[in-house]
Amino acid sequence: MLTEIQEGKALNSVVKHITQEKINLYAEASGDFNPIHLDESFAATTPLGGTIAHGMLNLAYVSEMMTSAFGRSWLSGGKLRAKFKEPARPGDTLTINGKIDCVEQKDDVSYANCSFECRNQKGEMIVTGETIVKLSSDKE
Amino acid sequence: MPVKTISYEELIPGYEFPPATYELSASLVSKYLKAVDSAGDGFVPPLAVTACAIAAMTGSFSLPSGIIVIHASQELEFFKLVPIGTTIECHIGVAQKITRGKMSMLILEFEVFDKGKEKVQSGRATIALPT
Repeated sequence: MLTEIQEGKALNSVVKHITQEKINLYAEASGDFNPIHLDESFAATTPLGGTIAHGMLNLAYVSEMMTSAFGRSWLSGGKLRAKFKEPARPGDTLTINGKIDCVEQKDDVSYANCSFECRNQKGEMIVTGETIVKLSSDKE
Repeated sequence: MPVKTISYEELIPGYEFPPATYELSASLVSKYLKAVDSAGDGFVPPLAVTACAIAAMTGSFSLPSGIIVIHASQELEFFKLVPIGTTIECHIGVAQKITRGKMSMLILEFEVFDKGKEKVQSGRATIALPT
């Protein structure tokens, strides 16, 4: 976890490789069997041109970065807002970066406001967004 | 899981789906952790809870054949961690339905509670349906 909560501080990046096997596993675990994720012949006929990863799979990687930085403060007091810009596809390598934009005090409680982005190996933006973490007393 | 589905046309703002119940079993959590390439810590990852809620949402209505659903944006708020084995109840409603040219957007809101009726998380998902 982060030892210092400071404005501008970068969070440890997460790098993940997307495979069709992982997408299939995610479908089984989540119960989301939308054919756009699983059926290559169907997906090829759509404007997306092929299967894509579930947006929530990409967000799981963002949550991993946040958990690594803030631990339980994130897991039981985090807020997230994300926009899915482009689909992640099998074969993509995603890099998730984030930083603390500011630390705010409200009613004697500290909050870390962070921003994040997830890009593929071509630098294309896949997901972008913001998070807010209510900092527990051990972080203050 | 929801017991029935309704058509997309029947969805109107204010509509509430029947609550969907999931048991966050050790095997489900194990599958989830493998899928997201992550090590567990004895609790259910909040995004695994969200995944159930999203599946309940998208599985609650039927679409005309060939229409694809794209997840456009997501908001989440986590209130508490739940241990493996917890049963959760997902309450889902239609907040907005928007049509812009050849794109329809559906904004769904959800809340997840544990068996003690304590709120576990809430969220808002925007899904796009190109027509």
